[in-house]
Amino acid sequence: MKLLLKYPLPLDEMPYTAEVILETGAKINIDLATRGELIVDVPGDDVEHVAELFREKGVEVRRLMKLIAWDEKRCIHCGACISVCPTKVFTFDPSWNINLEEEKCIRCEICVKACPLSALACIE
Amino acid sequence: MTEKSIEDINERIEDGSVRVVTADRMSEIVSELGAEEAAKEVDVVTTGTFGPMCSSGVFLNFGHADPPIKMQRVLLNDVEAYAGIAAVDAYLGAAQLSEDKELNYGGGYVIEDLVAGKPIEMKATGYVTDCYPRKDLETTITLEDLNQAIMVNPRNAYQRYAAAANSTDRTLYTYMGTLLPNYRNVNYSGAGALSPLYNDPDFETIGVGTRIFLCGARGYVVGRGTQHDPANRFGTLMVTGDLKAMDPGFLRGATFYGYGVTLFVGIGIPIPILNERMAKKTAIRDADIVTEVIDYGVSRRERPVLKKVTYEELKSGMIELEGKEVPTSPLSSFFMANKVAAELKREIEHDKFFLSPQVERLPTDTVAKPMKQPELPLVKDVMIRDVKTIGDSASIAEAAKLIMESQSTHIPVLSSDGKLAGMITAWDISTAVAKRHEELAEIMTKKVITASLDEPLELVIRKMERSNISALPVIDDARRVIGMVSSDEISKLIGKRKKWQWKLRI
Repeated sequence: MKLLLKYPLPLDEMPYTAEVILETGAKINIDLATRGELIVDVPGDDVEHVAELFREKGVEVRRLMKLIAWDEKRCIHCGACISVCPTKVFTFDPSWNINLEEEKCIRCEICVKACPLSALACIE
Repeated sequence: MTEKSIEDINERIEDGSVRVVTADRMSEIVSELGAEEAAKEVDVVTTGTFGPMCSSGVFLNFGHADPPIKMQRVLLNDVEAYAGIAAVDAYLGAAQLSEDKELNYGGGYVIEDLVAGKPIEMKATGYVTDCYPRKDLETTITLEDLNQAIMVNPRNAYQRYAAAANSTDRTLYTYMGTLLPNYRNVNYSGAGALSPLYNDPDFETIGVGTRIFLCGARGYVVGRGTQHDPANRFGTLMVTGDLKAMDPGFLRGATFYGYGVTLFVGIGIPIPILNERMAKKTAIRDADIVTEVIDYGVSRRERPVLKKVTYEELKSGMIELEGKEVPTSPLSSFFMANKVAAELKREIEHDKFFLSPQVERLPTDTVAKPMKQPELPLVKDVMIRDVKTIGDSASIAEAAKLIMESQSTHIPVLSSDGKLAGMITAWDISTAVAKRHEELAEIMTKKVITASLDEPLELVIRKMERSNISALPVIDDARRVIGMVSSDEISKLIGKRKKWQWKLRI
């Protein structure tokens, strides 16, 4: 499960993520980090606990259910999104239809630009 | 020996007994039955492609206004159509950009919107004559309101296409899509074994007048396309069809980020299996079609060929390039190409889509020539050859002295083997003094942007603009500094010539 973490501003440079990892022992993967914002991948069993701890520390936590908006009607299944994606979110099925594995998405947005049909967007 | 005529096949279409297969099935059938038997069993092979084809557009006739106008300039949803023909005729090209939305809208989108029945804002201006007294007009039109809307695409259905990769260290946005730095991906186009022209590479059946499937309508081959280069298996077709009969599902306006607008066009061509020879040709497989991977990192017409690959390799999703496994992406849609071939098959079987004999054969030996142009100024025409350099073990004080004495603001720094190690500028020296650095190596720019002797100056200017620098070293293959080129020399040469006519915001 992916969580979007928003650190309180102004940033106080506290190592909240490290604290949460140490306190829970959860194997947290950092997918994307910008100043004050983090997307982390947390194993399903630990999500509740991890989210609660972050919240206690004043970090805003949002569960990312949907990462990419895919306009299937607009999509022509060309595949321009496939080779640019660093985490292989997009694949072809045997009949050359695009398949999405959203849970792999790290919101780098490269595919959004690469799609000639503007059929992909990142959801805020 | 089987010999059929187009008339024989059309009789079978008429009585419903025609046997049609899509091109992807044909190799299997021929390897199972043999070409002789396959030619008896199969009457028509349908091909299909659905790809971005910039060289597309529509002729439009709007009918006369009252009072009448001779349009000199016409905008459709803010996209200009060429009006240098009769009073109310215009040609709208797929790649024409919107005046205000630039890369986000253009001719391809207007064509799609027309076919979808959407209203289009039209603005026209003209000059006043006795027969055309009106100066301008504004109105809203739909496809229905037009007398004619005739698609005429000067270059479609490229037989094959080169694949693209990028050797540079920055992402390139091209008509071959997004190319990641350092060969991290490969993009390719073309329909492979479904490609219309690869199933009839010698133009035995496809020719002037061939009836085709064009974006859901029945269209025709006008003749050879522009840049038709059959000698190198880069044949092309000029095609036409009635926009009013087209299906919005089989054409689509699109934008290649940072490059421009285009139109995805769906084309299907039936290949009559007149004999064993045509059965063999249509049995072509992806593994038989070879194309080249080209380095788009080189901004020249002749880009280096990195390797040869087959469509089978490209379609596998990964190819080996420069010692690495690299993911591939098609830019044309195989899903839609299959759909085109399947729809054409259905129309031949059930909808009386008759085949037409070619009126004339297309040339099979022409090649595409490069543009005739005046010689471009090259780096070697303007570079300074007498360059002061400094070793990387020199002190900052020595560098400062050299800058002062040589009156040049940019000094290449050489390593002990004489190769370029970095650049030092007057600005770097000031920084060093302010921050109390001692070593030259600490403050020099190590990632140096360089030029080569035979590089066109236009490209060097682009590098300077992009990196916001005013001078760069010219190096040879061994990274030895052989000159410097600076914006001063360039402006002397170019004078008042306008540098860039089109500045696109990326």
